[in-house]
Amino acid sequence: MITEYRTFLNPKKVYLPLTDVDSKIAKVLVEKEDRVLVGQIIAYKYNGQIKTPILSTVSGTVVGFADKIDRYSKNVDHIIIENDMLNETTELKNYRKLGAKSQPRNFVHNVTTYEGIISTAQVRNKLRDLGIDKVAVDGLYTPLKFSATTKHIVINAIFTNEPFISTDYETIIHHAEAIADGICLLGIAASTESLTVIVDKFMPAEALEELGKAIVDKNIDLVTIDVKRVKAWDYKVIKKLVKKDLSFNLLDDGVVYTTINAALMTHNAIRKGLPVTSRQVAITGDGLNINAVYDVRIGTPFTDLVNDLEGYHEVENMNLHIGSFLSGIQLDSDDFSITQTIDTINVSEYREVEEDVCIKCGDCNDICPAGILPQNIMDAELRNVNLRIVDLDTHLCVECGLCTYVCPSKINVLEWVRRAKRRVG
Amino acid sequence: MKFKTKKPPIVMNSQSTFKRLYTLHFSLLFISIAAIIIKAYTIVPEGVIYNELDQSFKVFLMLITGAFVSVIIELFYSLSEGNTSKFNSYKGFVEPINTGLLIALLLPTVTPIYVLILAVVVGVYAGKIVFGGYGYYIFNPVLVGVIFANLSFSSQLVVTGTPLMMLKEALHGGTFTLTNMTELFVGNYEALAIGSTSVILLTFVFVYLCIARVIDLRISGIFLLTVLVMSFGIGYINFYVPGNFSGVFGYTLINMISGLTLFAAVFLISEPVSSPTSRETKMIYAVVVAVLMMLVRILGAETEGIVFAVLFGNMITPFINRTVKRSNSKTLLKTSISLVIIVLFLSVFFGFILQGSLSDIFASIGGALL
Ligand code: SF4
Ligand code: SF4
Repeated sequence: MITEYRTFLNPKKVYLPLTDVDSKIAKVLVEKEDRVLVGQIIAYKYNGQIKTPILSTVSGTVVGFADKIDRYSKNVDHIIIENDMLNETTELKNYRKLGAKSQPRNFVHNVTTYEGIISTAQVRNKLRDLGIDKVAVDGLYTPLKFSATTKHIVINAIFTNEPFISTDYETIIHHAEAIADGICLLGIAASTESLTVIVDKFMPAEALEELGKAIVDKNIDLVTIDVKRVKAWDYKVIKKLVKKDLSFNLLDDGVVYTTINAALMTHNAIRKGLPVTSRQVAITGDGLNINAVYDVRIGTPFTDLVNDLEGYHEVENMNLHIGSFLSGIQLDSDDFSITQTIDTINVSEYREVEEDVCIKCGDCNDICPAGILPQNIMDAELRNVNLRIVDLDTHLCVECGLCTYVCPSKINVLEWVRRAKRRVG
Repeated sequence: MKFKTKKPPIVMNSQSTFKRLYTLHFSLLFISIAAIIIKAYTIVPEGVIYNELDQSFKVFLMLITGAFVSVIIELFYSLSEGNTSKFNSYKGFVEPINTGLLIALLLPTVTPIYVLILAVVVGVYAGKIVFGGYGYYIFNPVLVGVIFANLSFSSQLVVTGTPLMMLKEALHGGTFTLTNMTELFVGNYEALAIGSTSVILLTFVFVYLCIARVIDLRISGIFLLTVLVMSFGIGYINFYVPGNFSGVFGYTLINMISGLTLFAAVFLISEPVSSPTSRETKMIYAVVVAVLMMLVRILGAETEGIVFAVLFGNMITPFINRTVKRSNSKTLLKTSISLVIIVLFLSVFFGFILQGSLSDIFASIGGALL
């Protein structure tokens, strides 16, 4: 249970991974002992021709480089910056709304401001320059990548994790205006009018009211769903928009699907010129003494947060899970640092679940949002019949994990479907 | 700090296979006890030497034997496999007892105990263990046992005077009057199976199991609905006297509440392992079973068609499973519409067959061909 909201914005050191799952090559622009500022580009990472900047999230001195695991459990090079707590920024450029007044707080800065109507290209460039386009978390969420085929922007205001952890409504209440503006800016970037926000039926009235006030007359659609019933709502909402089966990568369907947090970051980037220096992370699980939602500086080592939460419980075996409860990944060590792509971390006691035989109840078939038949796919995979696996449209699986979630025999159905997918794909 | 890893998800819902088995177990015990009590009040046929209490004891004996034999076989099998850890707690006994009880509940009171034992042995061994145990069999083991008993020992299992039999006679020219409705609902009558009589209890269990998600309403519900529609159609064609619906209603009602219709809906057809797995195939399966049952009821030599019908349904389950590839709204719509049309058509068709007019037509065609 999340009991607190906390901030952790001043770690002693930040560890920033130089590469990630897509961009495997990095070019470092700074050297040891260099002084860097918040928002300064310290390296570029490359995915083929695509170049993504890595920005410093604190001001301070580069103290070295180290091999560490990242949040995907891969060993990658990290740059280590010692925080001087001064929060000095590089020159920030922002685009202010006519007549609006906005000042980035907490930072020592010099800002260049452009006023007036902002163009699609300006937003896109800005997001790319500040490295915000890579802000996707796991699951169905997409990066903030826009192209001519982008038709819909969908923002999820509810769950970082269906349906167990809800977003912190504090953020929504305090930043409703900024979020709404961020959503509009995303709309400009995609040059689309189709903006949809998904909210929970049982959201606290205050949050809903603030959000409602902010998005009224901005031409944003509000879709209410009932998170008490687990059924891949986001998939259904998006499917209604695009009117066809969804691809594994929503970008292919012309959909940019992201969170309230990303909308807020977009606002900060465009209006305040700020790079992503911090993000909301929910840290939960019975393995920790305190559960909290953090506003945490990117690059903070997870162990710092654990200390701040007064450490682990004395439990023999624990597991550490990042991302969606149904489909995230698990690490065998806590020696990683927070990146922009982490939204939840769960540390809980390791519980072995005993698998029973499949009783062919069909619950997994019923829940599958993609409308495929995971039980039958599992069966085909067990019997090695490739033709049938193809026949059953296995490629439509979006790896949401709901089939495993509902299985009364506790079979990891998703693993079987994945295996089948790999076999034929 | 080191962590153990496993594959996500890290949360599961609260449903569990064992919980479902257990709920079923509970319902079966409930029905069994009810059967024993009801039998103590059922009037014995004339000309037999035992009395009501003897009958009640017989039922008790049958149920105990069924459960016991089933457990013994599974135990022996585990021993031969060298792994009896499953029987360390009551957990391991639930599933075998369920099977044993069901077989006993599906046989008539007159069944000699040795027939019952044989039925359980065949059902559990040939129907379940040979395939690899719970979760792997193709045919519902209960029905394998029951059909074995019915076919091999038909002379020992003769029951007369069940409502369905009277109905069948009525269809062939005899007279039929609905006697005592209350008795019919409580279950105080001679039937082909000891557990199948009390409509009230079965309805109660049906609702309970649906809520507990042990049985799938899409199978059982559609099955009942199909039986309802078809028997109404057939009744309408055969028993309709202008201005008087009582014959039609009587026919429909008897078909719905007597025989094994309800018992099958609760315990037999939505047994998950031997039934299909997706929404659409479940619907097809339910309709196939219902249609076959009605067919046997009106044309077959047997009065009760459900055992054959469900076994046939089990047999074609792998096939039906293969027919549906996606489970989206389009498939659902297509399936439902075709099923509705088929059911309506068949009820009219069966109705006319019964009336004899179609057989005349067939006869004349046959004559022309000869
Ligand atoms: S097969 Fe399972 S993981 Fe894939 S889409 Fe369906 S429910 Fe989700
Ligand atoms: S939910 Fe589990 S037990 Fe049920 S059909 Fe799917 S895999 Fe089998």
